[in-house]
Amino acid sequence: MSIGMNIFVMTLVIVSAILMLTSVVFLAVFSNLIDDSVETQANEINKQIVMNFEGYINSVIETANYIQFASINMDVGKDSAALDELYRMNTEIKKDVVAIFLFDSAGRRLAGPAIDFSLGGNVGKCAWFKSAQKLTEIYNFSTEQGSSIADAKDEQVVSVSKSVDFIQNGRETNGVLLIELNYDALTSLAKKTNLGEYGHLLILNDQGKLLYSSEPDPSPMTALSAPIASEIFLGSRKATLNRTDMFINVNTLIQTRWLIATVSNINEIKNAMNRIAFILLVIFFIAIGISALVAGLISLRVSQPINQLKKAMLTIEGGDFSAPIKVSGQKEIVALAHSFDSMVRKVQELMSSLVSQQREKRKMELQVLQNQINPHFLYNTLDSIVWLAEHHRNKDVITTVVSLAHFFRISISKGEIFIPVEDEIFHVQSYLTIQSIRYMNKFSYTVNIDENLKKLRVMKLILQPLVENAIYHGIGDEEGEIDISGTIEGDFLVFRVRNSGYGITESTIREMYDTMHGGHDRPSIGIRNVYQRLKLYYGDQADIAVSSVQDESTTVTLFIPKEIQAEEQL
Amino acid sequence: MKIARSRAGYPAIFFFTVLIAALLSVSCAKKEDRIGIFVYNETDPFMQVFTSQILAAAQGSFNTKVFYADNSQLIQNEQIEKMLAERPALMMINPVDRLGSFAIIRKMKAANIPVIFFNREPLVQDLALWDKTYYVGARAAQSGQMQAELVMALFGGDSARLNQYDKNHDGKIQTIILKGEQGHQDAETRTSEVLRSFESRNFHIEVLAMEVANWAHDEAYTKMGRLLGKYQNKIELIISNNDDMALGAIAQMRQMGVFRDTNGNGRIDRFDTNWIPVVGIDGLQEAEASISEGYLYGTVKNDSLSMAKTMIELANAILGHTDFSRLSVPLKDGKYIWIDYKPYVSRY
Repeated sequence: MSIGMNIFVMTLVIVSAILMLTSVVFLAVFSNLIDDSVETQANEINKQIVMNFEGYINSVIETANYIQFASINMDVGKDSAALDELYRMNTEIKKDVVAIFLFDSAGRRLAGPAIDFSLGGNVGKCAWFKSAQKLTEIYNFSTEQGSSIADAKDEQVVSVSKSVDFIQNGRETNGVLLIELNYDALTSLAKKTNLGEYGHLLILNDQGKLLYSSEPDPSPMTALSAPIASEIFLGSRKATLNRTDMFINVNTLIQTRWLIATVSNINEIKNAMNRIAFILLVIFFIAIGISALVAGLISLRVSQPINQLKKAMLTIEGGDFSAPIKVSGQKEIVALAHSFDSMVRKVQELMSSLVSQQREKRKMELQVLQNQINPHFLYNTLDSIVWLAEHHRNKDVITTVVSLAHFFRISISKGEIFIPVEDEIFHVQSYLTIQSIRYMNKFSYTVNIDENLKKLRVMKLILQPLVENAIYHGIGDEEGEIDISGTIEGDFLVFRVRNSGYGITESTIREMYDTMHGGHDRPSIGIRNVYQRLKLYYGDQADIAVSSVQDESTTVTLFIPKEIQAEEQL
Repeated sequence: MKIARSRAGYPAIFFFTVLIAALLSVSCAKKEDRIGIFVYNETDPFMQVFTSQILAAAQGSFNTKVFYADNSQLIQNEQIEKMLAERPALMMINPVDRLGSFAIIRKMKAANIPVIFFNREPLVQDLALWDKTYYVGARAAQSGQMQAELVMALFGGDSARLNQYDKNHDGKIQTIILKGEQGHQDAETRTSEVLRSFESRNFHIEVLAMEVANWAHDEAYTKMGRLLGKYQNKIELIISNNDDMALGAIAQMRQMGVFRDTNGNGRIDRFDTNWIPVVGIDGLQEAEASISEGYLYGTVKNDSLSMAKTMIELANAILGHTDFSRLSVPLKDGKYIWIDYKPYVSRY
């Protein structure tokens, strides 16, 4: 993976890990807090409601106690009018009280308003009456009676009954006190509290049976919440009803043996929780996005110059020093690139100076090699001129001297290294002319040069050593032949110097190659000189080949690449 | 490498094993069953003494935690629920609303935590809901009966020949009754029982007035002022449902000059001619002091010390530490322990 990618990925991983951890911890802590506060709040609401009911119940009990207290010294038989008045007054004072009655143990009315006719003498069979007689020490709260038993009233009531002792006609006896409370007044307490949407209040009896629900008809939630409340019985629990989160809280209601259950909607809190989770998620992704952007930029800033530098280095590795190194971005890397660039420039300078030094050196070497023209040739020629003059062969003296002059002029060529092919040929011809006079026409020669070749330039003095060789080795007792040709063959200028004779053996040819490649000095020092000069200037492609046909001829061939032309490069 | 590491691990593992074992043994040795104690109200002086007696009895055998409900069943419900979460071995509950106990019992049954109710008796039917519910307390009826006995002893013990305390010699005892609270079970029971006891022994009680003073010293003090003004010298006896009201009445009587050292023996006592006997219930320390000073005639002691000791004995038996047969007060009906009231009068 690239450095840029590394920086990018690592930054993202770290940022997202930290963010993830933070979010999760925050959510967990927050949801715990929320849960706690929801629970506390629901508990407080429930307590408040139950306290409202308690206040109400206590006031009812107080009324009942007051009635008993006020009538403690009354005789039911003798003071019945006063008793009726006491009951009536208390009924009027407390607007929630529908009616107050006193019954004897058989269910006969002793005090209070007239009883519904239909009930007749059946008061003793009423549920509230029986429970008051069964549980004598407590107030019995019951909703079973339905509407008031008073003849003049028919509102729905809660019956509060208690077994009481009283004096009737001077005799202590026992009966049942009944206070009827307005059902709506009691249940309206439940409606004052906000328990949220679908939130409601239930009243259960001591068996867990539903007595009242504040949910308006139809009450779909009650059907679900009542069994749960009955199961909790005392305490609280979270529950999901109809996909709504509810907190159910059940408490006892003082004096009544009833249970009050509040079912509060905590869905909104859950929704708030979800919203917070959503916001966190959004923040998470925005933060990831921003950090991705920043990480990307930083990684680009770092990796781009590095990549540019790498590319420049690859180019240089490929051998191209010329391309300028352009790097922008992180300053350290730019500085690095600058250093590298100046180093490359330095290397380039060093290399070019090395090349020119090398070129100088080659030039020197070439000149040295070119100057190695056999000095014996000059002595021999001068000897032969002297000899010709003694024999008064003036014409031959002239020819030789002229040819010698040509020979040297071309040899020098104003110091140029490359000369046109025709000059080179002329040089060889001058030499041949001198030699043929000296050897008294012991050989004949031919020169065939392609016309196209004549104007091209070649390194000077490359044919003469070969011809010299051909004369020394090829001329015997018989008259010899020397053929010089120059052609263009493919990409090469090809010069051939052929001489007739016995030819040479394979081993001699091998010896010649050895000599050319720098082995021992004998026998063909001239060929070696040419070979080395060709290689020096024309490079590897230039070559010299030696071939021989036994008892017939020997041919030395020069191959000079046509491409590399003598454009005074040296 | 692996071998080397696991070898290096042995001492560490050994060390931790020893450490954990040590911790366990310490916690085992120190482990005491946890008990939640729930009291209806912290400001009730009787309950303060009672609670400290329970804690003293529990010392060394139980790890106790006390909750005061501030006279609200709601708060007590909440406290019980909180304690339930800690899974105590047992709970001792002095309920605020005796009628609300059915819910608590069902809750305890579901959690399988035995419960001892004390000093306020739940309904019989509620206690019957589960066999691991118990009640330790005194019978309210007995306190009334003992109060009557104290009075009858003072008046000579023979209904036909009342002694000098029947000041007007009419064979009846002119009485003022200070009732605790109208509708309160104990107040009703104590009142009706004291009257019934006199009746059963043919003592004639003439109730001059029955006054509700809500168990309170100050209310009794105020009401007594009016009653003294109204009945003056007629009053031969004052019966109070508790000591606090009795002491309130005495404070008023002292202020109105009822108590005088008529026989010149240097102290207030029953032999002074205008002395009026006052009887209370509970056996508060102030009541005992008042008795020794000669003002209060007598009280019926609610024996909280015995109750506290018996409750701890019962808790030990329920949790299997001892046997039920070794309880100092036998279990009745498998649920009840009744502690007798104790009469307390001056030596004279």
